[in-house]
Parts: sequence; structure tokens; C-alpha cells
Amino acid sequence: MQDKDTSAPGGSMPHKLIDGSFLFILAIAVVSGIAVYLLKGPETFWAIFRRDAGFAVFLLPKILAGVLIASALPFLLPRERVLRLVGPESGVRGLAIATAAGAIFPGGPSVTYPLTIGLMAAGADLGAGVALVSGWVLVGLNRTLIWELSFLPPEFVALRVALSLPAPIVFGLVVRHLMAKGRA
Amino acid sequence: MNIAIGTVLLWALALELLRRLRRQDPARLVPVYARTRAMMVFMIPRIFVGLVGAGFLAALLPVDQIERFFGAESGVAGMGLATILGAVTPGGPFVAFAIGAAALKAGAGWAALMAYVTAWSVVNLNRSIAYELPLMGRRFLMIRALVSLPLPLVLGGIMLLV
Repeated sequence: MQDKDTSAPGGSMPHKLIDGSFLFILAIAVVSGIAVYLLKGPETFWAIFRRDAGFAVFLLPKILAGVLIASALPFLLPRERVLRLVGPESGVRGLAIATAAGAIFPGGPSVTYPLTIGLMAAGADLGAGVALVSGWVLVGLNRTLIWELSFLPPEFVALRVALSLPAPIVFGLVVRHLMAKGRA
Repeated sequence: MNIAIGTVLLWALALELLRRLRRQDPARLVPVYARTRAMMVFMIPRIFVGLVGAGFLAALLPVDQIERFFGAESGVAGMGLATILGAVTPGGPFVAFAIGAAALKAGAGWAALMAYVTAWSVVNLNRSIAYELPLMGRRFLMIRALVSLPLPLVLGGIMLLV
């Protein structure tokens, strides 16, 4: 068995600065950038570039705060405690905790993903990581209260949230099941 | 405005955590800062390329016509279409919910709307390119997308039954 995969289980800290994922998004940016330049003209190209590059700069202070929190967490939370709360053996309760953390924590993608990386470095398993991200995307308080309720009927929003609530836990259980089967 | 409030809250939490760490043992701040620096170096080019690339890709998709596709075609086919539209809808929550509201006004049913909003939430192409793939890696994204994929159809299906 040749195992060249050096990544830690569950993926803890980013290791390589340039990896396949980065090259993939770089290729998408270059190809679609050229397409926009040719199809929509240089003005549109530069307008989009300025808008989104500016947004990235605007996000930086928030990202830095999120990364500081994510970096400090593994040092503040004892590994045994994280393992007990959201580790591989934490059961449905651990997945519910991860879901709630994802739903409550404010900050959007630039903060939630570093937080997930931080918690997984501190002992959370892949199932809990998926439950956390799913809790945020499906029933994130900030998005639901501020955005969804402003646009869609409250009865619809309430129904959607109620139906979605168990999903992150189910996802986490399925991931744990897949992992157990893959590793057994 | 929303971003500003979130940033202030996050900084308050970050400073409180750092203060606690320093009270426990100032030496523990060194690895925290090293980790923060490594992670920022990892994230900044990814966020930059991801956001700009997702922006270009969004400009190539006919977003302003998405609600047209909801139409009268309901049932399972309509839900499948709504799921695909939800996955490819670019932009933040403002865009997706505005399209959902427009589709509702144009006569879309709750089943298609449920599939649309749920698909946009769980298998969002834009967010995958801008954040999840570059930050979490392919394995995390693939596994999460795989287990999440049925949900838009399941929730839409429940709406069809009730």
C-alpha cells in the first residue's frame, strides 16, 4: 500500500499554500475572467474585479478576527473536552451541539469555515464539521432573521426552518457511518 | 452595516479569548499568533481569487431570468429544476431570497420554492468556489455535498404531499 496522503484525519491545519483546490479556483477565475472580458467588455470586467477585490479587502478585518478565534480555540479548549463535546464518539448530542454552534455563530463564510477548521484541529470529527457547516447554511440565525424573513412569507420560513432542523444531525450521522465503513 | 456589526462582535470575542490566554500563560500566545499568520497567508489568496472568480462566473449566468424558469411547471420536474437553479444562483442571501420572492409573486408553488432555497443553502456553487473548496479542501466539500444533495428534493417532496 502506497499512501502518499499526508493530511491529518478530518483535515486539521492547511499545509500547502498551493494545492489542487487553489489551482482549480484559479483556473475558474482566469477562464471566466477572460470570457467576461471578451463577451461583456473590459468595463464590465474591471467593474466586477474592483467590486469583488474591494469586497475581499473589506472582509479582511473580519477574517482576521475569525482566524484569531479559530487559532485560539484549540489552546483554550482542552482536547479531551472538545473530543467529549463534538468528537467522533460524541453521538447525536455532539452533532446537535455542532449544529447549534453553526446556527448561532455570526460572521458568514469567511468566519464559519476557519472556525470549523479550528474546531476540527481541536478534536471535532468530520461528522461534527459537516453538521456545523450544515447548521449554518440551513438554519443560520443571522441569515434567516435578517435576510430570509425580509423577503419570504414568515409561515414559509418557519416551515422551512422546522423541516431543516434535523438535517445537519442526519448529515453528521451519515458522514460518521461512511467514515466508519471506510476505515473499518 | 451588517458586516460592520459582525466584525465588532467577532473582534470583541477574539480579544476576550486572547486576554484569557494571556492570563493563563503569555507564552501560549506565540503559537496562536503563528497559527493565525499561517492561516491568513493560506486564506488571503484563496478568498481573493475565489471571490473574484465567483464574481466573473456570476456575470456569465443569466441571473435576472432565473424566476422565469420557475413558471407553472410544478411537481417533481419543477422541483428538480428549482434545485439546479438554487445550486447555481450566485451572490449572497439578498440575491437568492429576492429571486425566491419574485418567483412566488410570479406564481411558483411552495414545493419549488422550498427546493430552491434549500438547494441554494446546501449545494451552493458560488460559495463552494469562493470559500468551501479553497478553505476546506475537496474531500470535505465532496462529502458534505454528497450527503446534502437529496435534501432539496426531500423537503420539496414533503411540501408536495401536505
